Amino acid sequence: MNLQSPGALLWLIPLAGTILALYLMKMRRRRLVVPAVFLWPERQDEVRANALFQRLRFSWLLLLQLLAALAIVLVLARPQLLQRGLAGKVTAIVVDTSSSMGASDVVPNRFGAARKAVADMIEAAAPSDRLALIEAGPTPRVVFPLSSDPVAQRRGLEQMKRYDAESDVGEALRLASSLVGTTQGGTILLLSDGAFEPIQDFVPGKAKVVFMQVGSKSENVAVQALGSSEGPQGKLLYCGLKNFGSQPARVRLTILADGRAMDSTDAALDAQGTWGKTLRVPRETKVFEARIEQGGGFLQSDDVAYHVNEPGAVLRVLLVGPGDFFTERALVLDPRVTLDRATSLPTSEALGAGGPSNYDVVVFSGTAEKPCKAKGVLTLGRAGDSSPVKVTGKYAKPASFVPTHDDLVRGVRFDGVYVDTGERVRPVGSGRIVLDSDKGPIIVASSGARRQVYTSFAPLESDFPLSVGFPIFIANALDFLAPRALGANLAVSPARSQVLPWPTDGTVVIAGPAGFSAQAESRDGRLTVKGLDRVGVYTVGRGKGAKRLLAGLRSDAESNIAPRSVVQLGGEQVARLASPVRFADFWRPILLLLLAILAVEWWLYGRLS
Amino acid sequence: MPVVALAPQESRILQGVRIRPRRQFSGRARGERTSARKGVSIEFADYREYADGDDLRHLDWNILARLGHPVVKTYQDEEDLAVHLLVDTSPSMEFGEPTKLLIACRVGLALTYVALCGGDTIYGHALGGRGAPRPATRGRIGVQRVADWLGRLASTEGDSLLEASRRFARSGAQPGVVVFLSDGLDPLVSRAVQVVADRGHEVWFVQVLTEMELDPDLEGDLLLVDSESSLEQEMTANSVAIASYRKALISHNEEIGEACARVGGRYAQVQVGKPLSAFLTGSLRKEGWVE
Repeated sequence: MNLQSPGALLWLIPLAGTILALYLMKMRRRRLVVPAVFLWPERQDEVRANALFQRLRFSWLLLLQLLAALAIVLVLARPQLLQRGLAGKVTAIVVDTSSSMGASDVVPNRFGAARKAVADMIEAAAPSDRLALIEAGPTPRVVFPLSSDPVAQRRGLEQMKRYDAESDVGEALRLASSLVGTTQGGTILLLSDGAFEPIQDFVPGKAKVVFMQVGSKSENVAVQALGSSEGPQGKLLYCGLKNFGSQPARVRLTILADGRAMDSTDAALDAQGTWGKTLRVPRETKVFEARIEQGGGFLQSDDVAYHVNEPGAVLRVLLVGPGDFFTERALVLDPRVTLDRATSLPTSEALGAGGPSNYDVVVFSGTAEKPCKAKGVLTLGRAGDSSPVKVTGKYAKPASFVPTHDDLVRGVRFDGVYVDTGERVRPVGSGRIVLDSDKGPIIVASSGARRQVYTSFAPLESDFPLSVGFPIFIANALDFLAPRALGANLAVSPARSQVLPWPTDGTVVIAGPAGFSAQAESRDGRLTVKGLDRVGVYTVGRGKGAKRLLAGLRSDAESNIAPRSVVQLGGEQVARLASPVRFADFWRPILLLLLAILAVEWWLYGRLS
Repeated sequence: MPVVALAPQESRILQGVRIRPRRQFSGRARGERTSARKGVSIEFADYREYADGDDLRHLDWNILARLGHPVVKTYQDEEDLAVHLLVDTSPSMEFGEPTKLLIACRVGLALTYVALCGGDTIYGHALGGRGAPRPATRGRIGVQRVADWLGRLASTEGDSLLEASRRFARSGAQPGVVVFLSDGLDPLVSRAVQVVADRGHEVWFVQVLTEMELDPDLEGDLLLVDSESSLEQEMTANSVAIASYRKALISHNEEIGEACARVGGRYAQVQVGKPLSAFLTGSLRKEGWVE
């Protein structure tokens, strides 16, 4: 038991002293002459005192009154008891549902342990406690809002699931802060292994942040890289492994080509070490799969990787600029996209540098376009010398937009879009206006050996990224810059919605690993596939037109499953809680005990008086 | 000085009755009560052989004439019964309204009336007092003299009930019925009964108690002072203490009754405030104290 105000115990001295003094005072008894005293019992249950002084004698009343005084002082000292569970009065529980939480170093795995901890908290919560549960997956969501309904909470908990993908813990924490951050005494409880990047832009408000670490071991080997290249010796396949554990590891790696084993190797990796192997492979192979058969550690989702060797199966995109979250999110919606980021154009990609470009599309966002080797260039906001426009000045706040029927703006509505400032331009060369306005061209595209799309405003200088049309515009731009030639196989990232070109409208059946089955509706030549939360091979559709989506996890952050004892949350270092216990107020039972003591004391006083 | 007297209806209850002891006692004077000894009276007892010196007036001449054998008739002797009134005059008898002493004196007067009207002899003793016992009183005319004596009794501090009983026992009083008129609130009262009974007396114990003693109505923290020994005892009068007192009193009274029964005596309780006629018709007549 812990006391929040231990100083209040000092009140026991004057209280008990007063009671004892009253009992030390001698009774002034009424003198009564009786015929004989030998029949009377010698009972001295004094209930009043009004004179000085006498020897202290035992009295049940004295004992009860001292007990009552002790109970009062204990209540004033605000006692607390250690209880299982971490929840406070108002608690938002954030559960990390990322891939690393699938590590089986605890039984059944980290996610299962976190789920059990939440169930225990629901069980231990007092009727007045309010709990909310937030699933910190790739897209955080509130599993159940703040409530005191344990039945609904348990039902919601059963719907929480894990993803073989990186989680957005920061957004989940911000969501939690919006729920309890304004409540005095609120608690944000993060159940995680800490395998995520430091969280910035997080303010817990009045809430206290508690980090409960899940997991205990770090042993894990991941397939870190799997790719092919065309060389003088023919088609080469490169496979890289990394040991994220603190102990050396020995694994057996199997390479499959179109489902057939073509190589099996025992690899020894030092602690934190890497291992790589290059193989000559047949050019006609469409899908390569690298699989760690043995010794892969506690996380299985990174033990497999896929590489699709089909034209158009992969769209390599380089995003150049200081950082543009919205554009980045819109780009990766395309299942073909393999996105790299750079603050400036690498010299190897600059026009004139030797060799072919490593990227199909380069996107300049918030930085001036530079001449590059890529065959597709998307310039957002700042034109360069190689742009299909010439800058003539600046404009501000265009009032109206005039779209064309170009495929680039198909399905995109610009009504109501607010643009703060932009470059006033005119098309040059093969540039054509795709979207015009009262302040001049807004979007200009050019075709030819290089395909270019130029927008005269940067996304962050408008509210366009917040509109539904923005990802559609980016998808249209990618289709324009790198025309699709979608094959039967496509490498995708798990837990992301995938938009596929689909020739026919209707219901499409999706089957996946571990008995996964779902249906999706295709409309307007597009099929949005959701729910591919686990790594594995998913089959979309049936028959000749069926596609295979190969979902693999490649994330160092997730593969490094070593549980962190300290996490960075909003610039603060939050250490893990050592014990899954909490102090809970304990004054109510003592108050009830006090009332019971006073009732007994009253009864005894009446009986003795 | 209170007047000790009987109400007319109480006197009527007592008319025509006399003391009925459980056994016979030898009297010192001729009375109206047959004696175990043979004597001269009109009550025929038996025949026996004539012996020299026998009074020839008791010779049965008819038998001598028919049988030629001298036989004399014997007769029951008639003696008086000594009734000793032992009136407790300790300070505890001053409690009650009227006092227990007055009630005891009235009971004593009632027994005096019965005894003297029945030809018995009354002896008066003030237990606890140092005064000399009242001399023997006989005849109806003595009722008033005993009443006067009873009226003059007052509570005094003196010997305990046991000591006073011992002094009575040593006094060589004529064996008879000894009537204790006391509240019996002495822890050694049973010994006192035994001491008197050992001298050949038949002990009758009339215990006089007040309502306050039978059902005390006390509360609060008290300092009890014994009216006789002046002993002090602190006590908190609550339901527990009252119940304990009641239990002790009942046990004490039963002990007195058992002590009387052991020695062939009688025990009765009289409550101050209740009509004396209840005792007279109840214990005295129905229980056979008188006949």
